[in-house]
Amino acid sequence: MNAFEYVNPSNLQDVPKLLSQKRDRKSVVMAGGIDLLGEMKDNLVSPTRLVNIKALDLRYIRHSKEGVHIGATTTLTEVASDGEIGKTYTALAEAAESVASLQIRNVGTIGGNLCQRPRCWYYRGEEFHCLKKGGHLCFAVEGENKYHAIMGGGPCHIVHPSDTAPALIALQATLKIQGPNGERTVPAADFFVLPEENIYQETVLMPNEVVSELFVPKPKAGTKSTYLKFKEKGSMDFALAAAAVVLRVEDGICRAAQVVLGGVAPKPWQADASALVGQSVTEDRAVAFANAVLKDASPLRDNAFKVTLVKTMIKRGVMALV
Amino acid sequence: MKQEPNPLEKESGISRRTFLQGIGAGAAATGLLTVAAPPQTADAKEAYGTSVGPNATQVTLKINGTEHRTAVEPRHTLLDVMRQKLDITGPKPICERGSCGGCTVMLDKQPIYSCMMLAIDAVGKEITTVEGLSKDGELDPVQKAFVQHDAQMCGFCTPGFVVSVRALLDRNPNPTLNDVKKAVSGNTCRCGTYPRIFEAALTAAKLQRGGV
Amino acid sequence: MADMKPWGERYLTGTDVQRLDGEDKVTGRAKYTYDLNFPGMLYGKILRSQHPHAKVIKVDLTRAAAHPGVKAVFDFEKQTVRYAGEEVAAIAAVSPEVADEALKLIDVTYEKLPFSVREETSMAEGAAQIHPNGNVAMDERRQSEKGDTVAGFAEADAVIEKTYRVPVQTHTSLETHGAVAQWDGDKLTVWSSTQGVVGVRDDLAKYFDLPPENVRVLCEHMGGGFGSKFGPGAEGVAASVLARSAGVPVKLMLNRKEEHLAVGNRPSAIMTIKMGAKKDGKITAFESQTYGTGGVGGIGNIPLPYVFDIANYKSELKDVHINAGGSRAMRAPGHPQAEIGMDCAMDALADAVGMDPLAFRKANGSRANEIRLKQYDIGAKEIGWERRNKVAGSAKGPVKRGIGMGCGMWGGGGNKRSYVEVQIHSDGTVDAKCAIQDIGTGSRTILAMTVAEELGLTLDQVTPHVGDTNFPPGTGSGGSSTTPSMVPAAKTAARKAKGELLALVAPLLGVDAAMLETRQGQIQVKGNGKSMSWTNATAQLASDIVVTANRDDGYHSSGAAGVHFAEVEVDIETGRIQPIKIVAVNDCGLVVNKLLAESQVNGGVIGGLSYALLENRLLDRQTGVMVNPNMEAYKVAGAMEMPEIVPILMDMPERGVIGLGEPATIPTAGALANAVYNAIGVWVTDFPMTPDKVLNALAQG
Repeated sequence: MNAFEYVNPSNLQDVPKLLSQKRDRKSVVMAGGIDLLGEMKDNLVSPTRLVNIKALDLRYIRHSKEGVHIGATTTLTEVASDGEIGKTYTALAEAAESVASLQIRNVGTIGGNLCQRPRCWYYRGEEFHCLKKGGHLCFAVEGENKYHAIMGGGPCHIVHPSDTAPALIALQATLKIQGPNGERTVPAADFFVLPEENIYQETVLMPNEVVSELFVPKPKAGTKSTYLKFKEKGSMDFALAAAAVVLRVEDGICRAAQVVLGGVAPKPWQADASALVGQSVTEDRAVAFANAVLKDASPLRDNAFKVTLVKTMIKRGVMALV
Repeated sequence: MKQEPNPLEKESGISRRTFLQGIGAGAAATGLLTVAAPPQTADAKEAYGTSVGPNATQVTLKINGTEHRTAVEPRHTLLDVMRQKLDITGPKPICERGSCGGCTVMLDKQPIYSCMMLAIDAVGKEITTVEGLSKDGELDPVQKAFVQHDAQMCGFCTPGFVVSVRALLDRNPNPTLNDVKKAVSGNTCRCGTYPRIFEAALTAAKLQRGGV
Repeated sequence: MADMKPWGERYLTGTDVQRLDGEDKVTGRAKYTYDLNFPGMLYGKILRSQHPHAKVIKVDLTRAAAHPGVKAVFDFEKQTVRYAGEEVAAIAAVSPEVADEALKLIDVTYEKLPFSVREETSMAEGAAQIHPNGNVAMDERRQSEKGDTVAGFAEADAVIEKTYRVPVQTHTSLETHGAVAQWDGDKLTVWSSTQGVVGVRDDLAKYFDLPPENVRVLCEHMGGGFGSKFGPGAEGVAASVLARSAGVPVKLMLNRKEEHLAVGNRPSAIMTIKMGAKKDGKITAFESQTYGTGGVGGIGNIPLPYVFDIANYKSELKDVHINAGGSRAMRAPGHPQAEIGMDCAMDALADAVGMDPLAFRKANGSRANEIRLKQYDIGAKEIGWERRNKVAGSAKGPVKRGIGMGCGMWGGGGNKRSYVEVQIHSDGTVDAKCAIQDIGTGSRTILAMTVAEELGLTLDQVTPHVGDTNFPPGTGSGGSSTTPSMVPAAKTAARKAKGELLALVAPLLGVDAAMLETRQGQIQVKGNGKSMSWTNATAQLASDIVVTANRDDGYHSSGAAGVHFAEVEVDIETGRIQPIKIVAVNDCGLVVNKLLAESQVNGGVIGGLSYALLENRLLDRQTGVMVNPNMEAYKVAGAMEMPEIVPILMDMPERGVIGLGEPATIPTAGALANAVYNAIGVWVTDFPMTPDKVLNALAQG
């Protein structure tokens, strides 16, 4: 890794200034460091300043009757093992628990999990000067693309690797972002961008901004949620496909539904779940819904299998909650 | 969870002037390129908080109960500092990307990948490596059980597994087979010792309870 | 085969004995090459080509050499590089960080050349030549023929023809390749992560034009090799050259990416197999066309037809070059590939003639058939073969279970190149030395066990010493040859050393030395009660007894079988294969250490499982670069992939020692593939059997 100075900011408001002082992403946020150190070791980025936001008071889980506030540097283990999150925001607990391995979850933060860069092996390979890195070509189009997007792709075909993102979007979370002009709030659903909007980054976060907190509103009574993750290697892997499902069923009738997919698109893919609302949830309806969600999938040469896989994940995710 | 006071402030305790004077000597000693070390950013240090690096600073790392004082640059990982500067070679470099577990140590009792942790982030914490598990020459029950069940072959993955299993039993003294598998899912073995590691973990749990 | 010698009383061999270095490994005390730190030591690093095929026009080390932190530079003097990852130059620097920076100061001018990273591309009409020997070699010695296949197919009641594709697999040793080199005048000492200290020593002596006694190679512990760690390698040579140039020790260890690119792999195999049989199960004809790649190296042999006796066959093998790292022997080279093709074809043909695959195999002769027939029954009973679906895929889904089997064979038998020195001291202790290495198999433990047992002693009375070329020469640990080479040599040397001691004390007991034997720490007169304790006997020694010997015949033989049975669960809606249970029945002649031998079987099974389900060295066609040179995307089986594994070893002391490391890994992958077919009723013929392959196979019906 290249040499860098390590700055412990005194307060959150100083962070944008510290980030702004260098151009070309030479001053970056460091939380758990799991993704950042990997990128640095692979020579993808070479910041000369790391701003250590663990020095700030951003590691907390605060429950209230409105919902739960989670500081950005709360570890994934802390999120996964919080009893109230497990009970009330189950999809989030399951998503956090599903990440990587225990050793990673003990250090990796929820903010970092949302802001991590893609795992696409062309992006991660320093030999490939791909579109996302300012180059001329998306190597996945003609290349080895079994892990790449089946929806929303183009001109870059990454899948977003975060597990907590689909769960947070399905739970209608919002993110608090600290920038040079103060604080702004962005719904998790609007935090991520498709390549056609901005190919160089996966979120709306500017280089001089930092996510400080997440807020997840308390689901209405009777709401259940789950995060189903399918891994090619069960021991430790990113999602080959995943489904975050939130359902509220009252008197056998589905009153509200959110379904957000992981591993299928450059950003977590929010399905239109309105078809599930207003009737009972049956397996036939779940299958029909899944087929509709994947209707316009446009797989690449090697990833058509994901269409079948994702339909299964949607069906099983929905049926798990009834 | 309140963040602890910045350990670097406590440890270094040197003025900026001394720090800058020391840069030349530090660079030669650590063999840093004389070419490209970026200048200290006055803005960062004085206005917005403390900063260290890019040159080396003296830090104290508490490993297996012993305090080690050594010079580290911010970019040095805990794994590299332990192995290269302190000759603590139990934790192994295998994938160096946090995907195989060979470098697993405990940080305040929690298993982590030391190859993905900056040494400076480990300051002020209790670091436990495989070397720290036996007490006064007596093997830890996990170590005893590994030997008994032949849960090691070439042994290169063994330190990481032993620490992961020790950490599991600290969290859960009565694990099921599935608990054991999940606890070591972040550790990889190429020789194929997994089945005997599972047996060893369950035996170690019994040994701790005074059985077997 | 020579007449077998009596082994004598077995109270250590055949039992569970904990490995002697277990405690060192679980405490972190065991030192590997990667762990060594010497005062003033420099860090070596290699610059590698990013191009898959290029002429090397110029290598300019001036800027790197001028860096104050760089103490030595080395040019591999390549004229052409033929894969992305091939070595071009090396430097030694004061820290790993400076070493990384210094590589960027090396200026290399390349002229890019056309490349191929697919077998089919290399074989295509008009393909650019990417290898000096031509893109494809069809060697007469790898074409084999017997009988009359035309007649054979004509008399068959059913014929199947299928194509199986198995990928390139990398060894993924956890300790990467590397060495620490140190010079003292014209004497070189090298600590090497190696499977053959003697081979490294010999090669380095040759390279530096030194007498072998000037080079010492040490390897006390090493973190896995699986066939890839023979010889010093570019890294060992570079470390030694840099160390000589710099005048201080140099440590050069590869990183994980280099480990995937440049230190060997198991060749791929695309096997088209046509096989016919009669209704009674007798195979009447076999034909195969195989091609595959060992990169810039060779494919070796893919032995088809495999295991089974077939009167009429014709097999052809094309060795195709691509621009990728050269192959190296990997645990049972050629056999796992052949086993997948053969065992899947056997099951497909059994299906076609309407026979149970176990009965089908029994209806045909095979290598080591007598032992194999026993293994069939032992394994079938343990897995519960009768639970197997009579009709493939007939279970209710979406999660379906299936059971399958696979067969392997191996030669083994070792060689006469291991010499063991046994020293008996006057205090009764014994040292046994041999320049083999313990690569995780437990060699040092079985060395001590063999000597102790031959001398009638307890294990703690014998201290083994391995991993140092100062000891009598030992064989490289490959081909499953260490145990059958070293154990008989240890037994021979111990027997001879014992003979000297017995000759010394025979007069004291008033009998002929031939009347004496060692037993339970005593020198006893056969037949009557007279005895003298071992320590009283050794106390008579004026000087140590030292005997060095290689093996006498009579303690080893060759020819192992091996039959594995697997049960899997397949989720037809996701394509996930979950192994449930694997029963591995293996023979290795005399089982030296049952505990360690079972670990070898476990390890072989897990290697085969990982090969069948997860591993794939993948090259990007557009750039010729490996897309997954890390342990995240090159997937090796972990804890959640583990089934219940039941290793069953047949202990056959009458056959002497044979070797086990490779036989234990061969039959697993095919057993899993056959179990998958039994579960879902469609064949997955493209490996690894990742979920996408299963779903694709199901979609095609």
